[in-house]
Amino acid sequence: MKKTSEIVIIGGGVIGTSIAYYLTKRGKEVVLIEKNDLASGASGACDQDIILQSKNPGIHLQLAMKSAEIYKTLEAELEHPIEYENTGGMILIETQEELEIMKDFVKRQQQIGLEVEILDLKQARKLQPGLSHHLVGSTYSPQDAHVNSIELTLGFAKAARKQGAGIMLHTEVVGIKQRNGRIQGVKTSRGDIDCEIVINCAGAWAPKIAEMIGLTIPIKPRRGQIIVTEEVAPYVMGDVLSARYIVAKYNPDILKNSSDPGIKLGVGLSLSQTQKGNILIGATREFVGYNTDVTRTGLKEILKNATRLVPGLKGMNIIRMFAGLRPYTPDGLPIIGPVEGIEGFFVAAGHEGDGIALSPVTGKIVSDLIVDGKTFMDVSRLALERFTKNNPKA
Amino acid sequence: MKEKKPVYICRCQEVTREEILEAIADGARTIKGVKNRTHATMGLCQGRTCRRLIEKMLAEVTDIKELKPGTRPPVRTLKIEEVIKGEDS
Ligand SMILES: Cc1cc2nc3c(=O)[nH]c(=O)nc-3n(C[C@H](O)[C@H](O)[C@H](O)COP(=O)(O)OP(=O)(O)OC[C@H]3O[C@@H](n4cnc5c(N)ncnc54)[C@H](O)[C@@H]3O)c2cc1C
Ligand code: FES
Repeated sequence: MKKTSEIVIIGGGVIGTSIAYYLTKRGKEVVLIEKNDLASGASGACDQDIILQSKNPGIHLQLAMKSAEIYKTLEAELEHPIEYENTGGMILIETQEELEIMKDFVKRQQQIGLEVEILDLKQARKLQPGLSHHLVGSTYSPQDAHVNSIELTLGFAKAARKQGAGIMLHTEVVGIKQRNGRIQGVKTSRGDIDCEIVINCAGAWAPKIAEMIGLTIPIKPRRGQIIVTEEVAPYVMGDVLSARYIVAKYNPDILKNSSDPGIKLGVGLSLSQTQKGNILIGATREFVGYNTDVTRTGLKEILKNATRLVPGLKGMNIIRMFAGLRPYTPDGLPIIGPVEGIEGFFVAAGHEGDGIALSPVTGKIVSDLIVDGKTFMDVSRLALERFTKNNPKA
Repeated sequence: MKEKKPVYICRCQEVTREEILEAIADGARTIKGVKNRTHATMGLCQGRTCRRLIEKMLAEVTDIKELKPGTRPPVRTLKIEEVIKGEDS
């Protein structure tokens, strides 16, 4: 085991492995520590969508667009099959009220340069024949894509290792050493490692790591349950979400007073088909601590919601179900950057439901910040301090 | 003696003993870890045949302390229609 390293990364999900890849690419000495296995957290229990059009026009969409650009050449760069596919995607619109909200959303996204449009039901059904006749229409963007999140995590780790990263699996970080406001090293279940920089990439567990040095990070685990069907012939085109999902994501108050069990579980459609042919049907958005069980109500509500929008699913068989913990933040944006007051401590966590999409750009930003002290865009709004200080912009 | 003929552990997905050992060497300590790296257990039988064999290999090759419960039995194949009918009909 290595006893020293310039940089220690905590967490072997898609974020930690991406940062390990980009830092070693720039010649940095890195050890990544993961308490279980690669992709054993959210990154191995999620959907496969790289969705641009679900992002709020602004810094979130900007990050996603940069990531999307990197994705185009990532598979070749990593020399690992990550099953990236530019599939396009749509957001289903059920009511006039949603249509008005989505029209505005789409207009603001177009202004930032996203290719996205509103389709009427007839046009939408041409792309996605399984849609219910009660829908008003959908949005469509040709820029949405898919990637296999597990292969992506393994691919980043493999490429990082080739560039010299040390990867320690089944090793838990149990403490962080600091002196005079400066990082000195980490304590692990297999001994101490001295280092100058620690990057907290522990996803939903990031607040537990932060506690080790007396910091509070407002990340909470938000469970998502997903159902998997048997392999079927191509049926779902690209990524499919529902506008209700967007409304729930950005205006949780609208749904707060509902007594519908599906709405209480935060069920919002996410539908996509893997290259093998299995359809992934999601998902709930629940605050139940670190519990990753799947539930009977979850199963039923997810399927009720999905078959209302895409009735043809009814005849299919399901074979599996799983749940993962999204790292939720109060404003829906990830926390990325150095932490004031503790020299050498960085956070890159809290990507909630977008960590797969945002992993390449997060790795690039963090490596730029560490190597050059700056990056290609202003990321000060992503700093942890937006929650701890009176920041009018946050 | 070298293994000439590949020994298949997961027949559905055609994953060999050699490939499972490589996955374990790469850090897999659970069925999920092996599955992520090799796609074993993801075939038609959903691991009914191979899961036991892989568990045995994991137990043989790795330190018992590292083994964690990592499997969740597959849901019995269910027709979606049947699930949503349920109570509220
Ligand atoms: C149901 C669901 C669907 C989703 N769908 C999508 C999607 O379609 N597109 C998308 O972009 N995103 C999606 N996401 C979100 C995405 O999965 C996450 O944002 C992303 O995986 C977060 O990655 P991470 O590396 O930050 O966290 P994780 O993958 O959770 O990794 C954190 C790691 O830290 C490790 N760790 C914790 N504590 C310690 C410690 N003390 N010492 C060492 N290691 C430690 C954990 O074991 C874990 O492996 C979905 C999430 C869910 C749950
Ligand atoms: S033998 Fe492995 S899935 Fe069937």
